[in-house]
Amino acid sequence: MFGQGIVKGLWVTFKHFFNTYADDIKYAGRKYLRQENFEVRQGLRSQGAFTVQYPDEKLAVPERFRFTPFLVTEDTDPARVGEDWCTSCGICAKVCPPQCIWIVRGTDPNTGRPVPQPEAFFIDIDICMNCGFCAEFCPFDAIKMDHNYEMASYDRTMHHIHDKDRLSKPLSYWKSIAPTTALEEANARGGWEHPDVLKAMKKAGKTADKPTKDNMWNVLSAPANQALPAPTAPASPAEAKPVPPAAPAAAAPAPSAEGGKAKFDKQAMLAKIREKKAK
Amino acid sequence: MAQLDLRELHSTEFPVPDEMQGNVAITSLSKLYNWSRRSSMWPMLFGLACCAIEMIATAASRYDLSRFGMEVMRASPRQSDLMIVSGTVTKKMVVPIVRLYNQMPEPKYVLAMGACASGGGPFKEGYNVVSGIDQYLPVDVYVPGCPPTPQALLYGLIALQKKIDGQSLANMDDVPWYGVGPAEPTPVPILGPDIIDPRQMDLIRRQAELAAQGKPYGLREIPESALKRQTAQIAPKTKPQIAAASGTVEADDPEKAARLAKREAALARKKAESGETAAASVVADAPAPATGGDKKAFDKAAMLEKIRAKKAK
Repeated sequence: MFGQGIVKGLWVTFKHFFNTYADDIKYAGRKYLRQENFEVRQGLRSQGAFTVQYPDEKLAVPERFRFTPFLVTEDTDPARVGEDWCTSCGICAKVCPPQCIWIVRGTDPNTGRPVPQPEAFFIDIDICMNCGFCAEFCPFDAIKMDHNYEMASYDRTMHHIHDKDRLSKPLSYWKSIAPTTALEEANARGGWEHPDVLKAMKKAGKTADKPTKDNMWNVLSAPANQALPAPTAPASPAEAKPVPPAAPAAAAPAPSAEGGKAKFDKQAMLAKIREKKAK
Repeated sequence: MAQLDLRELHSTEFPVPDEMQGNVAITSLSKLYNWSRRSSMWPMLFGLACCAIEMIATAASRYDLSRFGMEVMRASPRQSDLMIVSGTVTKKMVVPIVRLYNQMPEPKYVLAMGACASGGGPFKEGYNVVSGIDQYLPVDVYVPGCPPTPQALLYGLIALQKKIDGQSLANMDDVPWYGVGPAEPTPVPILGPDIIDPRQMDLIRRQAELAAQGKPYGLREIPESALKRQTAQIAPKTKPQIAAASGTVEADDPEKAARLAKREAALARKKAESGETAAASVVADAPAPATGGDKKAFDKAAMLEKIRAKKAK
């Protein structure tokens, strides 16, 4: 018989239409009063079709929602707050399909050797296609996809080419918007800390706490530093790495001195660069 | 909800008594005007690529553009205020888009939706894609995303409404469409060495050669057929016709005829001058459009007869 499919299809539409009013009666004015009601009505088990009154109420985005990328900065280790997780390896810029990432690698002005920290980091979010490859490929989990989609502006060049300051967000922000994913990643890394820190801890013979939901929000009372000797200087694991754990770390104003050859000291280097820039 | 709230309109210079709150509003003309304008932004009904799907979703019942007075998607540029450039703008499509923009009445706004319309997106270096509609049109709001979610688009539209709220009737920079004289149309991009029209391959090659030699090569000319049409509209008078026309005028009014003759002389001088300056450009080796008169005029009846005869065979 002709037209059966049309009737079937229209029946679905009609059901939604009818259920919208049935639901209205069921809720009887409570429709927009409470957040739970809103979530039920917009959820998967909702029966009718309801408008999201956008600027007043917003649909919760799923955890794996991707919009534009942001850079993760340290905030669990009080000694290194605000430091980038990014080591400016440039993998994200290479894999970016529309090529919207621009990194300037940090170099030591004295030796010309690269410093594992980006000097500049730009993302043109008007080119970005939200694919998430950068976050997928980053070996340090230093770039993640943000959930904030309210980014429209009047000027493209002024507001839509984000620099490092604009892109940087603390790790706790990532934990808050994507708790499950963050936990999975931490498990894969072997701890909540940065891969470099974990490496240093391993060398020092310490193991990081197993990441769980409970210790997710623990601010490190410098366990990363305690794991390592010579925490006097602005303790960075990289700096303390060369010192063996058994070494007498009592007089440790210059931890690099005892190694004979000066090992790479990230903190000191960064300080030097900053000084030179300030001049 | 789009409900009329007079308190929203009220500008607070004059106090309104408490019992009249919501019933009376004292406001400036600018504010009233902007309020009415931003509450009835009619977008133009056209979509270019995947962003259009999100635009459709925004207009549908779930997100419901009509809450902002924008539900009336007009299929004609003459009736629309807002152009949502939703998707990849190809080089072929940019011409009609700019033409449509020119056909929209002032005040008009452009919203670049998504990565492609704002900056070319993943196709920004493509041979066939314009890297950002803002190279051709004045864009008011950029909405990033690939594609932006309906809520992101709504945020962009609200941003546009805020922009309109900020405009003042007293400031001519804000409302240039009330200036003296007609507004300058946005130049329609001419298909050229970059935006290739395959029908003009010969000319493009010649231009490329000239460009390689460092000579001025100019923009691509208008296709001959279009030029003919244009000349037919604007200056249909070939020389004998002008002579005839001037003859008739002479009989009517000798003063008018003298003025016309003067004007013609001036025009001829101007033509000669411009011809000298443009001698270097390719225009020189293009067939002169005005001399098309020596070709036989198109005879539709005869052509139809011919076709019929051919078919009958």
